[in-house]
Amino acid sequence: MLAVHRDVLNIVQAKFLSAEIVRSIHLNVFTLEEVWSNENRILALVEYNKSFALFVLIASKQKPTSISDLSVETVIPVDEFFSCDTELVEESQNHIIFIITYKKIKRAFKIEIGLESSNFASEVIRSKEHSLYNKPSFVWLDKYIGTMSQPSRSDVSEQDDLPITRHQIAQGQTSINRESMLKYHLKLKEAEYTQKQEFTIFVGTWNVNGQPPTIPLSNWLAFDDNPPDLYAIGFQEIDLSKEAFLFNDTPREAEWHKFVTEGVHPKAKYKLVGLARLVGMQLVVMVNNKHYPYVKNISVDTVGTGLLGKMGNKGGVGVRLELHNTSLCFVNCHLAAHVEEFERRNQDYKDINARMNFRKSPQAIKDHEQIYWLGDLNYRITELTTTQVKTLLLRNEMVTLLKADQLNQQKERGNVLLDYEEGDISFKPTYKYDLHSDTFDTSEKARPPAWTDRILWRGRGIYQVAYRSHMNLRISDHKPVSALFKSEISVIDPIKYRKVHEDLIKKMDKFENEYLPQVTVDQTEVVYDLIKFREPQSREITIANTGMVPAEFEFIKKLDETSYCKDWLRIIPYCGNINPGNTLYDFDYFVLNLLIVGEKCDVKLEVNLETDHQKLYDILVLHLKDGKDMFIIVSGECQKSSFTSPISLLCRISVPVMQVPEEQWKLAEKLESSVRYSVPRELWLLIDHIYRHGMKIRDLFESSALHEEIIRIRDWLDFGSLDPFPGTIQAAAETLLLFLSYTKDPVIPYELHDTCIAAASNYQHCKQIILQKVPDLHRNVFLYICLFLQELLKYQNDNGYDAKTLASLFGDILLRDQIRNSKPQASRGKANFIYNFLVNDLSTSIIPAK
Amino acid sequence: MAKKTYDLLFKLLLIGDSGVGKTCILFRFSDDAFTTTFISTIGIDFKIKTIELRGKKIKLQIWDTAGQERFHTITTSYYRGAMGIMLVYDITDMKSFENIVKWLRNIDEHANEDVEKMILGNKCDKADKRTVSKEQGETIAREHSIRFMETSAKANVNIERAFNELAEAILLKTAGKEPGDPVDRVTVDRRPTNTSKSCCN
Ligand SMILES: Nc1nc2c(ncn2[C@@H]2O[C@H](COP(=O)(O)OP(=O)(O)OP(=O)(O)O)[C@@H](O)[C@H]2O)c(=O)[nH]1
Ligand SMILES: [Mg+2]
Repeated sequence: MLAVHRDVLNIVQAKFLSAEIVRSIHLNVFTLEEVWSNENRILALVEYNKSFALFVLIASKQKPTSISDLSVETVIPVDEFFSCDTELVEESQNHIIFIITYKKIKRAFKIEIGLESSNFASEVIRSKEHSLYNKPSFVWLDKYIGTMSQPSRSDVSEQDDLPITRHQIAQGQTSINRESMLKYHLKLKEAEYTQKQEFTIFVGTWNVNGQPPTIPLSNWLAFDDNPPDLYAIGFQEIDLSKEAFLFNDTPREAEWHKFVTEGVHPKAKYKLVGLARLVGMQLVVMVNNKHYPYVKNISVDTVGTGLLGKMGNKGGVGVRLELHNTSLCFVNCHLAAHVEEFERRNQDYKDINARMNFRKSPQAIKDHEQIYWLGDLNYRITELTTTQVKTLLLRNEMVTLLKADQLNQQKERGNVLLDYEEGDISFKPTYKYDLHSDTFDTSEKARPPAWTDRILWRGRGIYQVAYRSHMNLRISDHKPVSALFKSEISVIDPIKYRKVHEDLIKKMDKFENEYLPQVTVDQTEVVYDLIKFREPQSREITIANTGMVPAEFEFIKKLDETSYCKDWLRIIPYCGNINPGNTLYDFDYFVLNLLIVGEKCDVKLEVNLETDHQKLYDILVLHLKDGKDMFIIVSGECQKSSFTSPISLLCRISVPVMQVPEEQWKLAEKLESSVRYSVPRELWLLIDHIYRHGMKIRDLFESSALHEEIIRIRDWLDFGSLDPFPGTIQAAAETLLLFLSYTKDPVIPYELHDTCIAAASNYQHCKQIILQKVPDLHRNVFLYICLFLQELLKYQNDNGYDAKTLASLFGDILLRDQIRNSKPQASRGKANFIYNFLVNDLSTSIIPAK
Repeated sequence: MAKKTYDLLFKLLLIGDSGVGKTCILFRFSDDAFTTTFISTIGIDFKIKTIELRGKKIKLQIWDTAGQERFHTITTSYYRGAMGIMLVYDITDMKSFENIVKWLRNIDEHANEDVEKMILGNKCDKADKRTVSKEQGETIAREHSIRFMETSAKANVNIERAFNELAEAILLKTAGKEPGDPVDRVTVDRRPTNTSKSCCN
């Protein structure tokens, strides 16, 4: 643990009671939400009596030194509603986004990838795991919620929860997550498929004071015995002309480039990687030929910070590249001049960082793994006169001098080049010399010598082996400086990389497969007991979520069908959403820790037979959104019934339907046997019963019978029995209506309905239709009913019925619509039609049965 | 930037009689595992698997169908949209081999016209129980100009190769088409869902 980290941990702990233990903290956390100011935040995982909570603290200082520097912004209990996730940052390889989801709240924090972040994340995951086994109490948080700086931000009492992240995966958005996951995990596993290889990097900087190249550069560039692997050579002031300044065009660029090319180490060949120039600043990056195939993603950019804050007389030029698997960035700068302008220089530095954009990931200077910063930084020696400096130099009192160096001072204060390192300076100041000499400025101005030309670095695995000036290049008032580095570059082992990559792809496939919605159904075959007319049966199937994500199910229709189930079936509910059990996803290892207590949904499948079937059979398709389809087979044998049978069939059988031998039934069905009765036996039995017992009953057709009573009557009719009629007179009346409503075809065939309605005002026409158009057996039934109703009307005073009422009641049944119950009110036309037959003498209409 | 993890998405389908080993083949390919217990598939399920072919990452979405006769009319409605179909029979089950012709007819009727096909004679580890010779398999494949392979989900024979070959055939076919047109936009269409009874609420 870093010392800073430990110090801050102590301070954070002091913010809590001693029994509330700060388990882990993460420093330098930034929120991504724009609405919240970009203060420095600290995440703290705190435990009290086995219950965990995540605290978001705002730090008023980057490194808080007392508890008053910290304030609680948000408190998030780590319980079942809590989840965390990570996402990659588009523009930076070094950061990830840590996402905390709690019910409706979602907070995203940008943190740096590293030991700290991975430790913290695994602690949080562990705490979440803990919370699943324990039933944590969060009363202890109440006191902090009161102190929250903006309590409204995350109202933890909010009850409405949405599983945000999980849902996204279910919607097939995994392919986007996959990419960032792959990158993130490849980076984490870098050590497994790369090895560090040392590369020598030669970095040079020289302010050439507008002079053209006239001397060879080999004394500078080829100073060392062995050729470096990479060169990054920066110049300043290669052209001080107005043209260069205004049009950024100068012949010197090519000249200096040529001299560099000629001056490099003779023992190796180099290839240009990138050249960036802005006015007088030029940066040439070259790599030893043999490494060139491993250089990729080269990009250059320039930033002017000079006149008007944008002209190129000052600023920086950069070249970035990836060498094997390590990203390198070289920045050559020329910062503001003049002794007193150090703040301006600090500003230039910040501007270069803020504005340089390589338009390739990573885009910003700071996000590179290795950064080399060189140039004429222009920081001077303050508080010492020229004479004093010279004297100290003669006495070789470097420590005193370097203490007076503005760059060292500003860097110390964190104002510039924070986190950059610089090697010890043992060479003399590189500015300002009389031309063609090694003598410090002897002009009138006699500026104090200064270490204006510097080379710094930032990043892991960089070791400087030399840092020096080159006195014998005398054409400028500056001396060139160079630094030699041994830098560790991650070199990919293609075989190992392939393996890691393949493994990751495999894991992600596995992950994606496991994150598909999954449910199981307790039965895929639903068989009903013998299905009887008007005797609904229901079966329940249980759909259980056995997956990791909410499962949205729906019964869908098969191709060429109009509905997801047949009309004899009802599915309740036919769609829904089932939540998964608690699952944990450990993003470090792709380990899925399951604690499946997935929710369940009972679906009722109810059959209700109202039409003529021997067998019911259908395959239902249960579809999961973004997932599989399951088939559920429903079937059942149906019991024969006089209800739902055709009139023409019933008239051909002389015994109850259940007693009819199969052969006879088939013949009757095909109308091949002879007609036995002029009206169905069952109809006769019902009407006869009413005739004998019910003619004087008031509101005969208006009271509804018990369901069992109807069933008993149905069986009495279908099985045949010597028992007396098994129901009340009202039940008999209702059964009559039912019987007539469910005969396979209506008494008056569908195709005649319109004609009947049109003829309703004329009895003779109506009579003609009945006599000429309606089939014999149907006509018999029709007239039989009408005669019965006429009889009923004779007892009008007792039963309270008049012809109009009966006409409308029976009109809707004898001329029933094809689609059942389409409209509740009676049809006036049909009633009028029937009315004719209730008030006229029918004796002339009756034709005896053949 | 955010480049996709895969360049192409292919939808493949496994069909064939019940018990020939379709689910096992998929399970072997996706999870590199095998189980002897037979749980007949009652529905349509899929798994995804990413493979690399000719430097391209190809995401395969492989649909496993129910082989039982009673589901045939339903399962054929899933053929549409498949870019490749594996017809599987069991080398120890002559009936399943004879039915290949029926399955081929189903494909003709219900699948996309240019669908890539491949016949797999599965369970080749059960040499002692073989009733369909390799030649018979080769012959029928030749007659219909379809690729053929004998496989074993159990012994992991030719499983990966079969999928790679089928995917490669699709890749070659798609490569011929407009290069600018990213194939990964190919939608994996399901059969039409409910329109008549609209959703709950
Ligand atoms: N010996 C051997 N047995 C296999 C092989 N592949 C599958 N089986 C066995 O065959 C049986 C059926 O396999 P499944 O994959 O479930 O069959 P299926 O084609 O998916 O059947 P449906 O889902 O009903 O269409 C199982 O008991 C498997 O263990 C194989 O390559 N060799
Ligand atoms: Mg199967």
